[in-house]
Amino acid sequence: MSLKLSSTLNTSRRSFSPPLFFSNVKRTPISNIRIPRNRSVKSFTCVHERNPEPIATTSTKLQLLVSEFDSLTEPIDRVKRLLDYAAVLPGLDESGRVQAKKVAGCATQVWLEVVMDERGRMRFRADSDSEISKGFCSCLIMVLDGAEPEEVLGFKTEDLTEMNVGVGVSHVGIKAGASRVNTWQNVLLAMQKRTRCLVMKREGKVFAGCNCFN
Amino acid sequence: MEAVVPKLASFNLLNPKSKSKSAIRRFSSALCVSSSPSVTSTDSVSLGHITRPDFPILHQEVYGSKKLVYLDNAATSQKPIAVLKALQNYYEAYNSNVHRGIHFLSAKATDEYELARKKVAAFINASDSGEIVFTKNATEAINLVAYSWGLSNLKSGDEVILTVAEHHSAIVPWQLVAQKTGANLKFLNLNDDESPDLDKLKEMLSRKTKLVVIHHISNMLGRSGEPYGSYLSQSKSGFVLGASILPIEEIVHWSHDVGAKVLVDACQSVPHMVVDVQGLDADFLVASSHKMCGPTGIGFLFGKSDLLSAMPPFLGGGEMISDVFLDHSTFADPPSRFEAGTPAIGEAIGLGAAIDYLSTIGMQKIHAYEMELAKYLYENLLSIPNIRIYGPKPSEHVQRAALCSFNVENIHPTDIATLLDQQYGVAIRSGHHCAQPLHRYLGVNASARASLHFYNTKEDVDEFIHALNETVSFFNVFK
Repeated sequence: MSLKLSSTLNTSRRSFSPPLFFSNVKRTPISNIRIPRNRSVKSFTCVHERNPEPIATTSTKLQLLVSEFDSLTEPIDRVKRLLDYAAVLPGLDESGRVQAKKVAGCATQVWLEVVMDERGRMRFRADSDSEISKGFCSCLIMVLDGAEPEEVLGFKTEDLTEMNVGVGVSHVGIKAGASRVNTWQNVLLAMQKRTRCLVMKREGKVFAGCNCFN
Repeated sequence: MEAVVPKLASFNLLNPKSKSKSAIRRFSSALCVSSSPSVTSTDSVSLGHITRPDFPILHQEVYGSKKLVYLDNAATSQKPIAVLKALQNYYEAYNSNVHRGIHFLSAKATDEYELARKKVAAFINASDSGEIVFTKNATEAINLVAYSWGLSNLKSGDEVILTVAEHHSAIVPWQLVAQKTGANLKFLNLNDDESPDLDKLKEMLSRKTKLVVIHHISNMLGRSGEPYGSYLSQSKSGFVLGASILPIEEIVHWSHDVGAKVLVDACQSVPHMVVDVQGLDADFLVASSHKMCGPTGIGFLFGKSDLLSAMPPFLGGGEMISDVFLDHSTFADPPSRFEAGTPAIGEAIGLGAAIDYLSTIGMQKIHAYEMELAKYLYENLLSIPNIRIYGPKPSEHVQRAALCSFNVENIHPTDIATLLDQQYGVAIRSGHHCAQPLHRYLGVNASARASLHFYNTKEDVDEFIHALNETVSFFNVFK
């Protein structure tokens, strides 16, 4: 008995609208997305970085990201959206993909670079050998790049599970738990640990377990 | 009519003292094998089709609409209704602590627990049930050998031989014990076929070798051999292959010649084929219940009686003692000596029920069917563009177990597994499969793995291959 198997997968790369944050921006670094100061924003426009609009808050960026993924009901569409985010992640060159920058605990290889800029804000770059993990990193960086250290440290993984995408998350929204393959959690924890380290270094203190790097 | 293992056919699986008929409870499915053990498979009604109704978990949709295709059996197997009912019946009817109780429930629980031990012994043809020590799982069983036998038998300069393909659970305990004793670990590499290089093993064995730790079937490479009887064949390396998957009989023979013991990791073989510890002459053998249709939380160590008798305790506590004073204690004989505290009683009984279920089908029938599936899986996987399947190619002398670890060029296996899961409901595994040294040896960070059991069907493989083809196309488009 032969099994008729129909294709359920539309492999067209641009069969849906591009990620919300990048709809009007061509390869602009994602941290330069500006959103009007009014927090009850219902819509926004992306503007060029020379326009002195204030940067969106972490919370606002997260809400926009969550609502973007919420609008995608099929898991495959959420994965596709992640891959689009992966495509705009600048990544790291060979010198950045080193053991010292590896994020522990991920099923895939993820490298993370964390620095504090001259204004004391946290800047992140990341890369991975997995496209989906790159997508996760891209989303995290989009939300947290340019944030104050306190915002980074106050961010919780529960905030991410609202996006309802990735390994171990069911269609009905059961929170991704302590699975070893929870890239979200591992990358966020690494971002926070290294942020804490840089904050303490700035204050002249030593953080146990710190492995600071530039 | 299919022959079951003769020892089991004569083995009384019913407790004659039991007044309850629950032990003879019929399976709920009309197609259940236990009511017709002589059913032979045809192309249209395979063993997979016959047994699937016994596994409720397989009949579901994931993510709301995707039919589950479970191909992660090397990680853990699913449980038939008979096992689920055995567990429930234990807790409903006679749950009680074992061995020292005086009352009715305790006597029954003890009888059933010890009956489960006998079933395990019969299943692997151990000469006495006292050679079976119940543990939490195979990992704990290996640790038991390492800390009990290892610490009292290994000294500085002694050697333990393992292969680069061993599971972490077979490697790490020996690393810890080697550090404490000063013994050295030697690792056997793979040959060009991606099987352990047995020519090299003979060279490595010496009077310094005290133990060889080796898998029966690799959870990643899947090398298998002829399934039945005393078939002997020449491999291309000139060595004689036995009936086993890795030729354990030969390995044991060579090891004993130099005075070394052999510990066999049978986690991937016991669930899938006949394993005969007397035929293999293995000194130690370990397996986990959860990989052989039994519950989690229980496994076993087989150890030859004389070895176990000479071994000091591993964990201390209740059950394993004889007399306890303030400043010292005396200890029970094996196997109790190695079973400290209240055991996983229900789970052991569940394992016994799993053995009953498997035995009713017949391990030879299970193995024959899985060899068919293995061939079908491998041949179909080869059709995926740019795929690399690890382990030996199937040939006249080398059959593969029904599992394949693989990579597709330029696509991370976790990405593949994620899409297979979320879009198609196909469950495979991705990662290092508790074999990081093997992955390092093969030069990869991770691989994907599909592993089948007797309740899978060719249609499961068809759906997997179809999903994999589409997934590979999808990622190639995005790159």
